Amino acid sequence: MTLPARITLRTVTSLLVISLLAFAVISAMPSDPVAIAIRAWNLPPDGATVAGLRAQWGLDRPFLERYGAWLARFVRGDWGLSFRTGEPVLAEFLQRLPLTMTMALSGLALAPLLAVPLGFLAALRPSGWIDRATRGLAVFVQAVPSIWLGLILLYVLGVQLRWIRPFTRDWSGLILPVALIALHSLAVLTRVYRRDLLEVTRQPFFRTALAKGLTRAGALWRHGHAHALYAMISAFRAEASWAVGSTAALEVLFGLPGIGQFLVESIAARDYPVLQAYVMVVAAWLLVLNAGVALCLAWLGPSRP
Amino acid sequence: MRRTLSTLALLLLGLMLIGAIWQPHDPDAVNLSMRFALPSPDHWLGTDQLGRDVLSRLMIGGWRTAVVLGCVAAIGMIGGTVFGVTAAMLEGWRGALILRAGEMFIVVPTLVVALTAAALFGLNPVTAGMAMGLAGIGPYTLLAHALARRLLAEPFVQAARALGVGGSGLLLRHVVPNMTPVLFAHIGANAGLAVTAYAALAFLGLGADPSKPDWGAMLFEYRMFIFDHPLLMVWPGLAIAMVAATLNAVFDAT
Repeated sequence: MTLPARITLRTVTSLLVISLLAFAVISAMPSDPVAIAIRAWNLPPDGATVAGLRAQWGLDRPFLERYGAWLARFVRGDWGLSFRTGEPVLAEFLQRLPLTMTMALSGLALAPLLAVPLGFLAALRPSGWIDRATRGLAVFVQAVPSIWLGLILLYVLGVQLRWIRPFTRDWSGLILPVALIALHSLAVLTRVYRRDLLEVTRQPFFRTALAKGLTRAGALWRHGHAHALYAMISAFRAEASWAVGSTAALEVLFGLPGIGQFLVESIAARDYPVLQAYVMVVAAWLLVLNAGVALCLAWLGPSRP
Repeated sequence: MRRTLSTLALLLLGLMLIGAIWQPHDPDAVNLSMRFALPSPDHWLGTDQLGRDVLSRLMIGGWRTAVVLGCVAAIGMIGGTVFGVTAAMLEGWRGALILRAGEMFIVVPTLVVALTAAALFGLNPVTAGMAMGLAGIGPYTLLAHALARRLLAEPFVQAARALGVGGSGLLLRHVVPNMTPVLFAHIGANAGLAVTAYAALAFLGLGADPSKPDWGAMLFEYRMFIFDHPLLMVWPGLAIAMVAATLNAVFDAT
């Protein structure tokens, strides 16, 4: 089996397993979805409605059959109706997903672009000021929660300098979260890139390259960059997972109508279709990113055929 | 440097644990005549919009954060060890199945699992800690498996086996004690992340009881006073950052 086929197979299997787990946990919840739906949609609470909904959702059938039916509907694009808004969940998500994806993906895309030059300069002069500054930044972002940093930025930029209006929905509402995500990933990826570049300088072939007359920068670029890039891309996976996980809190902080905020609003109404859809969307998103990273690594890796 | 770091860590831990049994004031006592008081000898960090003592609320929040950390660490240690050692003992497809499952769990973001758990079971330190612990079990399983594989091939384990020490005795006496320190160091390295993740969860307030002073929930509550009383939102954030930074530094140094 070729590598792309293997990666695709693994991605699809993982998604199926995650969907099964999420479906099982949500179906095991004690609260009855029919009762919630009747309350949420103001349906007549009589036996006919209950029986109708139960038959429609297949609640009288065994678990695996129910899962199969749900999966078939999900794949066809029927994600059910939200208990809270009464609208199709798919439509609600399609409306909000672009914002969340823009936010997380622009932050994530920005980080490696800046991490390579910064990490390179840091490795060029270990213990130089760039090295120390990026180290300080990495320690800082790993301790300071992004929501608090966001609040402090809102205070400084919004209250002290009056450049933006806090908690309003305008351009600043998207710039700041993107910057926060990028800053976190940037700091972490720079350190990984720098660490692996410096690892190369300890190899005998690096000394040979210097002896041949290459400058330190030239030797680092020619003989260290690909190696360090490989490590950085592997570390990118954990950063992607962090970024996607933190979108919900950033959306709530900056008042952005993305899927995370939609989920948080829906939780109080026990909106299980929305919860299930959220898990699926996030899992699919991260699995696709991971598959991309795996392909990148295979392409960059030393064992390339 | 090491001395000051350890002292700071112990001091913070002490404050977090003391918060479970004693606070300078009743953290929920509303005193509307004392709203937004500045720090004073009586209220060291001032009072909030309802006149509640901020330090007392921070201390309870610290205890709740400590509970989360305890749950995450316990589940990571126990789960990682059990699955990793089992996978190492059962070679073949059963071991591979455990490892594949562990790999799959690396993908899922901890925060999303915790979000789902909070949505389903309500947010409290124990459920959040258990959810985050379970979500993080994948990497520890893989690590424990690698460690157990290496230990099982060591001469002293081979010797014990040759002497007739079998199954559980071999594992409990010779393999597990030798892998715990490494596993613990890795779990500790992620403890800072658990603190900020729990803060983010409490900030979202999923099914949370708003009267419970979690640090993240306090950030959510106090963010509204950013214009007139910005000092209020400083304290919980500072608490989170200090605990996370100390944890990161302590486990980075080991």
